Amino acid sequence: VTTPGTAAPPAALSDPVRRRRSKGGGGGLATRGRSVPYLLVAPAILIIVGVLGYPMVEMLWLSFQNYSKQNPFSTQKSVTFGGLSNYTTVLGNSEFWTVLERTVIITVLMVGLTVAIGMLIALMMQRISTWARYLITFSLILVWSVPTLVSTIVFQWMFDQDFGVVNILLGQVGHDWFGTNVSGFGVIIFLVVWGAVPMVALMFYAGLTQVPKELVEAARVDGANPWQTFRSVVFPIIRPVVLIMTALSIFWDFQVFTQIWVMRGGQPNQDYFTLGIWAYNEGYSSFDFGTASTLTTITVLLLLFVTVPYLRQLIRIGDAK
Amino acid sequence: VSAHTEVQAVNPARAATQPTRVARRRRRPIAKYILNTVAVATALFWIFPIYWMLLVAVRPVTDIYSQHPSFSPFTNFTWINFSEVLHDPAFWQALRNSLIVVSAAVFIATFVGFLAAVALARFSFKFKRIMIVMIMIVQMVPLLAVMVPLYIIYTKVGLSESLQGLVVAYLALTLPFTIWTLRGFIAGVPQELEEAAMVDGCSRFKAFFHVILPLVVPGLISTAVFVLIQTWNEFQLTNFMINDQDHHTLALYLNFFLGGNKEIPYGEVMATAFLMSLPVVVLFMLVQRQIASGLTAGAVKG
Repeated sequence: VTTPGTAAPPAALSDPVRRRRSKGGGGGLATRGRSVPYLLVAPAILIIVGVLGYPMVEMLWLSFQNYSKQNPFSTQKSVTFGGLSNYTTVLGNSEFWTVLERTVIITVLMVGLTVAIGMLIALMMQRISTWARYLITFSLILVWSVPTLVSTIVFQWMFDQDFGVVNILLGQVGHDWFGTNVSGFGVIIFLVVWGAVPMVALMFYAGLTQVPKELVEAARVDGANPWQTFRSVVFPIIRPVVLIMTALSIFWDFQVFTQIWVMRGGQPNQDYFTLGIWAYNEGYSSFDFGTASTLTTITVLLLLFVTVPYLRQLIRIGDAK
Repeated sequence: VSAHTEVQAVNPARAATQPTRVARRRRRPIAKYILNTVAVATALFWIFPIYWMLLVAVRPVTDIYSQHPSFSPFTNFTWINFSEVLHDPAFWQALRNSLIVVSAAVFIATFVGFLAAVALARFSFKFKRIMIVMIMIVQMVPLLAVMVPLYIIYTKVGLSESLQGLVVAYLALTLPFTIWTLRGFIAGVPQELEEAAMVDGCSRFKAFFHVILPLVVPGLISTAVFVLIQTWNEFQLTNFMINDQDHHTLALYLNFFLGGNKEIPYGEVMATAFLMSLPVVVLFMLVQRQIASGLTAGAVKG
């Protein structure tokens, strides 16, 4: 079931259709029909290659270029081929390892909290009254639909030093949440998790409704405690959903951007750099496209590494259809 | 869950023979009461920042910069922030830019994506498998990866700072997803429906138009709405590509409030934030429902 070769059945299915079609309409149409799929995919291929494929190759090429930092306004003229020098500079910079470590830590925290809280809410949704379920579903969908930029700005104001409602409620007006990057990232992680939980919780809940009640009941009759029931009966069934949502969360949280960039007023200092923010900043403020591309290439490679399980799952779903 | 409790309730004999079950039955209403309370608290907790946004949007500035804020929307209620925003020509310019860019991106992505999705779902051809894998990999490419190259290419071909360039960039952002989702919707329509129409004498083209297309329309709409939401909200790429204030989208207009050393007019910021969120929130809720209703289920029922 898992091998890519199983894509054959859908292809075989559509063949009799075409044969029948050509019988009714004559040979000319059948030959014309053969080019139809190519014509249909041509515009999409053209756009994907043009705006995604070519730029990615360009990015790889750029990562081997040295951009002189002195004059940002004449970048075109001061570009030289640097081979792997960008990579050796970046990988040799201790700052890179600090940033990488930071990126990994906040990703793990964000993903872990999102999945755990999402699962708790989903399990709770299964056990509450219908009206309460409607209420929580409504609030989750509402939060899910609010633009990230908007929620970031709201959180920024809520955590304001002097007039933020959080400080007022906690009775510590004047506390600077962004005084250290640990508490600063605390706020950012809170924001990201708050925004990411709704989708995860609703997907998990949808998964939980697929678990046959008889199985859960049988496990309980056999004397399993709630945790054992969850681990041995419920979880194996919702495993695919959990895997996909975890992989997607890793993918999104590893390159979380708006929440950090906007929260830090569009000019995050080094203490708030993640790999993605650093790369963006190199291109955006320093116009050092070489270093930006190098950092991006490294980020993409790391991302591909962690999302391969997700890709495999997608291929499996694609084959099932 | 409720059905389950009922089953237990109408089966007292079984419950009576199991003391633990009796205990569980007696405890359940209390447990449920507690869980309901927790659920309400969770819902309120999650919704609070949005409530706070609305609250600040209808506050005069003196109440916003206060250390004793009221939690009721009716204290010193005012429309002044909204009227400030709605009288700002830059807001209307940004709205116009957003509408132009988003509608162009939605139309092209949905149309081109649909054509490709039909090919992938209904035809067999030589490079199909390679294409599917390619689309999935491309879907995994972070925005970050194409931002700098696109910026440089745009500078070369004179598309930098232009709305056209933004539309093209948005296609990169949305097209793989569009193809992938629409392919799923089309594949969800049973092939037999189409075959039956053709046996009845329809041409393949006609069968497609009269049988598949009507069934895929809900899918097309929800995909288009997802593209709309994604492009309407887009900030990272747009911020990188566009500096010129005349070409600001709503997202950039909103973010522009935060720049500079001036005091931030949070009332206007939240009013703008509300205006920007409203259409996507409404559309999102509509699409949520549409996706929930099974697409092929209706077809089989007739």
